[in-house]
Amino acid sequence: MRQPDQTDPKRWLAGVWLERHGLADVEPTPLLAARLAVRRRVRVADSLLLAAFIVGAALTHVSVLGSDATTSWLPTLVLVALVVGLLVAQWLLGWWVRHVDRRAGARLPRRVAHPVQLGWSAVLGRPYAVFTVVTYTAALLLAASVLAVPDPDLRRGATVVLIGLTGAAVGVILQLRNVLASPAVAEDEASLTADVIMRVEDVRALVTPSLVWTLPAIFLYGESFGWWNIASIGLVVVSAIVFCLIHFRTTGVGTTARRAMVTR
Amino acid sequence: MIVIDAASPTPPYEQLRAQLAKQIQDRTLAVGTRLPTIRRLAADLSLAVNTVGRAYRELEEAGLIETRGRAGSFVSAAGEQALEQARRAAHDYAAVITSIGIDPVEAIRIVEAALGRPATP
Repeated sequence: MRQPDQTDPKRWLAGVWLERHGLADVEPTPLLAARLAVRRRVRVADSLLLAAFIVGAALTHVSVLGSDATTSWLPTLVLVALVVGLLVAQWLLGWWVRHVDRRAGARLPRRVAHPVQLGWSAVLGRPYAVFTVVTYTAALLLAASVLAVPDPDLRRGATVVLIGLTGAAVGVILQLRNVLASPAVAEDEASLTADVIMRVEDVRALVTPSLVWTLPAIFLYGESFGWWNIASIGLVVVSAIVFCLIHFRTTGVGTTARRAMVTR
Repeated sequence: MIVIDAASPTPPYEQLRAQLAKQIQDRTLAVGTRLPTIRRLAADLSLAVNTVGRAYRELEEAGLIETRGRAGSFVSAAGEQALEQARRAAHDYAAVITSIGIDPVEAIRIVEAALGRPATP
């Protein structure tokens, strides 16, 4: 059994990660430590970005509440700019991960690859894929339905939700494509398994519907209380329960990765 | 799993071709399995696209894989037929050897010579 390296925090964390995924006997190489470190940083940065986006969208929404700015294009323009900024920043974060992976791979004297193409269904899994499509669709339908309510503040909120969710959905699709298409960085069977585990973790993190849970609940508020408030809270509660069920009832990340690697 | 060793004297395309051929023949890769695209495998193994393309072309010529246009490359059923044909030929050869009374070691030397390989001592 490998002894944990306490002197280098990155390698120690890599060792903990390997143990968690049933690879306790694998040495946490500097290459693996670097790849995991950049993913940790990117996840923190991504969470901060989402928080900044929600705050920005909320401020834009609040700035026009109660005013007679129904025909003003400025709030919509700011929202579109926020969505574009979010997508660009997320793309740059993805580029950073791929850049670190590429640099790490270029140093390997030996390269290993899987002879079968890993598809989205093997890496993401059907339950997560169906859940993601259904939650986004439900949130978009909810926001679109609210557009028919004769309350200008509520309709502005629904516009925020529609723009935000559409942008987020595009971002998720683009990032999923990048994760699945990025080259494997491995020098032996253990590092190839670790590579696939990282992909499974990356895609599961991507499809966590943070914006679906937050945007409708925050923005679908108008002058009066209505069915949309119950629907927004219901969407959060139901989808959070389903997400937890999927998380606990489907196979773990390590098992999913190993199954994806089975060639037949 | 496919391993490409940059320090090996065997050219990368031959390393790739030999490993894929072995996995197809020992059925690690089942008939109908979709192989990665040339570009994808080249990126994974840090090889030139032409290198992977050459390995795929030779596998296709050997009947082990088939390319179905944009759908990609798949492990061919012809590979299994070729193996079965080889097994039948070996069986016939063994029957001839036994009937004319040639020593099995000598019979293997004859096969190795026919394959253009140095005979095992």
